[in-house]
Amino acid sequence: MTLNSPKLTPEQIAELRHDLRTPINHIVGYAEMLLEDIPDSDHADRRVALEETLVVARGALNLINARLATGSADARIASGELSELYEELREPQKKIVNAVAPLLASTAASEEELVGDLRRILTAAEKLVPGEGGGAEAGSEEADKTVTEDTGDDSESGPARVLVVDDVEANRDLLSRRLEREGHVVECAENGQSALRTIRERSFDLVLLDVMMPEIDGYEVLGQLKDDPTTRDIPVIMISALDDMESVVRCIEAGAEDYLPKPFDPVLLRARINASLEKKRLRDHEIEYLRQVSRVTEAASAVEARKYQPGSLADVSARGDELGKLARVFDGMIVEVEARERRLRDQVSDLRSEIEAARGASRSAEEPGVDFASLSPGERFADRYEVIDAIGGGGMGMVYRARDLELDEEIAIKTLRPEMVSDAALVDRFKTEIRLARKISHRNVVRTHDFGESSGVYYLTMEYVEGITVRELIDSRGQLGVSSTLAIGSQLAESMEVAHEQGVIHRDIKPQNLLLDADGVLKVMDFGVARLAERTTSLTEAGLIVGTPAYMSPEQLLSESTEASSDLYSAGVLLYECLTGKLPFEAESTISLIGRVLNIEPSPPVEINADIPDALSALILELLAKKPEERLASAKELRERLSQIG
Amino acid sequence: MSKILLVEDNEMNRDMLSRRLVRKGYEVAMAVDGREGIEMARTGEYDLILMDMSLPEVDGWEATRQLRAAPETESVPIIALTAHAMAGDREKALEAGCDDYDTKPIELDRLLSKMETLLSK
Repeated sequence: MTLNSPKLTPEQIAELRHDLRTPINHIVGYAEMLLEDIPDSDHADRRVALEETLVVARGALNLINARLATGSADARIASGELSELYEELREPQKKIVNAVAPLLASTAASEEELVGDLRRILTAAEKLVPGEGGGAEAGSEEADKTVTEDTGDDSESGPARVLVVDDVEANRDLLSRRLEREGHVVECAENGQSALRTIRERSFDLVLLDVMMPEIDGYEVLGQLKDDPTTRDIPVIMISALDDMESVVRCIEAGAEDYLPKPFDPVLLRARINASLEKKRLRDHEIEYLRQVSRVTEAASAVEARKYQPGSLADVSARGDELGKLARVFDGMIVEVEARERRLRDQVSDLRSEIEAARGASRSAEEPGVDFASLSPGERFADRYEVIDAIGGGGMGMVYRARDLELDEEIAIKTLRPEMVSDAALVDRFKTEIRLARKISHRNVVRTHDFGESSGVYYLTMEYVEGITVRELIDSRGQLGVSSTLAIGSQLAESMEVAHEQGVIHRDIKPQNLLLDADGVLKVMDFGVARLAERTTSLTEAGLIVGTPAYMSPEQLLSESTEASSDLYSAGVLLYECLTGKLPFEAESTISLIGRVLNIEPSPPVEINADIPDALSALILELLAKKPEERLASAKELRERLSQIG
Repeated sequence: MSKILLVEDNEMNRDMLSRRLVRKGYEVAMAVDGREGIEMARTGEYDLILMDMSLPEVDGWEATRQLRAAPETESVPIIALTAHAMAGDREKALEAGCDDYDTKPIELDRLLSKMETLLSK
């Protein structure tokens, strides 16, 4: 352990000599006293043991005096010689213990004074060689044990790595040997510079730091350790012969864990070291815990950035506590979500294939336009838009693709039938609905931009989506695969979920209103405005239903109040048609259709297409329930149920 | 019977030396540090003081100087006890006002003869 052998100063030698002679003094004194008490004729064994003790102790005293002579200028010894002295003292120490311990054992407890004095001799013998009790510490051993039990239960922490920093060889030697006996791994440094270097090179659980050292003193070393984030958390116990309050306060204020005055009391030393190590262990646990907490929050950020690798929290998950549970649940959820996303991607990819295939077919399925206010390609409209071409028409009016000259982007213009906006009240209602619809911002909803009037023509401008409608897709393919249908259904459910949360009900969900772009992204058109078309005409008045009655719920057909659940019914019809190529209710006339919708249960889709999973077939029948309250509770539930099937 | 004041902070030293002196027929009072030693010396009437030099609070050197400076204690003989045995300690002790000087570990017979010399003066 000793790196080199510095010379001790005469003062240090005198101090050391004092420390070594004091226990001898006690041994000699008590032994002499006890010998004086023993009558000549009695207790020969006691006399023999005590005389032996006295002779050995005096021999040890002579040894100490010879080795640690003072008074001359070359009264300097090297640390190597000091270790030798300790070794030499071990022999007399053992002899004294061997002489006195059996005597103590054979002495009746009633001889209190004798027992007490023999114990004192053994205690003094223990102090003779630093850190070497020779098995005699009857009293202090018990105290030691208590300390160990109090703080040492967590022996899982293993031996601690301790650095002893002291410029005095004897102190280093004493401390390091005592600590090694405690099972710790000890290194020594003989000055502040070497201590700082050693601590930065290797990790330690505890530093015992002498205050008074030449060049860099203990305060300075402590300050540097506490300033450095990498060493800040290593507990430091200051050791010093100075036991004035001021230096203790100074050390504690500078961040020292504890303070130990010299000379050391072995029991106190052990207690404080163990307490510091325990605190360090708890702090290390805390640091590790916080590190793992930040691992989990980093994982959450990684999920957001779509960079999370499932299983990368394995070490945190291994914890038996709440954090471990959190990490396990988190990882499990991400794995589940990723699996769903993967399924969804597959579904969308299948859908894209079907779209590709449909595009090859002619667009003959397109509805013929109702030409009431026809705009021609190239025509400037409302001073802002240049018409490109007509792309469709329906119950509400004509739809054109146009260029917004203001923003230089393609948009869709929908011109409204004059009867839909025939008076100011209708126009106001329209505006109200547009305001609502504009609140919905979702990738699966076609964005509504504006509502305006130009030369008596009312119009809406919307996001232009290059793609085909689900109507066109079904007409082209006959029916769609389960995977493609799930891709459409879950995107539709998502858009309805968002719209319903905003209080907007579509009321006209049908294949013609669902656009698919080339990437398979579904865009729902006409959120909110479809109801306006509905209001302008009525079944009872005109015998005409705006939109397509085949997708309307019983309550809509009966002109009863329509709620979010009506959209769910329409979604059910749509999914039914996607999967089977057929409507759940088909009839020659609207009146007979209404009769069937109100009175007949539809055939389960799985009976028409055996490829349809039972769960999906059952889900569609639930959507088609006659009574709104018997359908799914919400679009959110629809989305969740669909994802479970996928 | 001579009254001795033993000023010694080390409990074992105190215990041992006091018991041995009692056996030899002395009456022994004890103080555990320099401050207590000075107070006891001023209020009690002691025939001799055994003063350990390395004491907490007020050390033996300072305690001796104060005792010598006070009229009621200026003439009480004081034997300095030191363990350090540095060269010059003896001179330092005598200079501070001690009458004699002995080193630890105590050799009782040697100490007793020094005590008796001073007590018989």
